[in-house]
Amino acid sequence: MKKAVLVFILAAAVLVTCGLWLFTSKTRLNPMDLLSFGIIIIVVAFAVFTGIKKLDNTRRGEPTEDELSKKILRRASSLAYYISIYMWLAVSYLSGKIKAETHTFIGAGILGMALIFAICWLIFNFRGTRDE
Amino acid sequence: MNNRIREHRARLDLTQEDLAKKVNVRRETIVFLEKNRYNPSLKLAHDIAKVFNMATEEIFIFEEPY
Repeated sequence: MKKAVLVFILAAAVLVTCGLWLFTSKTRLNPMDLLSFGIIIIVVAFAVFTGIKKLDNTRRGEPTEDELSKKILRRASSLAYYISIYMWLAVSYLSGKIKAETHTFIGAGILGMALIFAICWLIFNFRGTRDE
Repeated sequence: MNNRIREHRARLDLTQEDLAKKVNVRRETIVFLEKNRYNPSLKLAHDIAKVFNMATEEIFIFEEPY
């Protein structure tokens, strides 16, 4: 229950920060900014989805975490880490080809990692994990 | 590994939610087990067998790979 509430608070904080960034931005948003904003929205939507699932489980009197959810989390984390290594390799290659500031690449990399984890988690959550 | 959870759950007239509560897991875990998308831990297999008052090997059937 506490975890779900924390997820909602963090999601709201991220959305408010993004909103402020959008409204206070004096320069016109470029496609890279819009892409970053899109990925943030996807990651926040993922966090809200997991939060709702946890609340739903609590309401039904079931545990919010069990052996399957922990296993899915572990497998999604390890696969996401594995894919992220290649993503950072791509980011480091692109940093030499595209002219942009270092923090832009680091920010894109962090968002990419979050997106990769969300995709891995969704795949395991819908497909299951048999370990055979 | 296959299992006969659905069959025995129906025999005892238990819903997936009832069984989930009895073995202290989420309903989704029972759904995944019944669809053979997840192999349970030894403890969960034992708990489920205990609910059905049967031996673990009567619920969970191991298939030889050859």
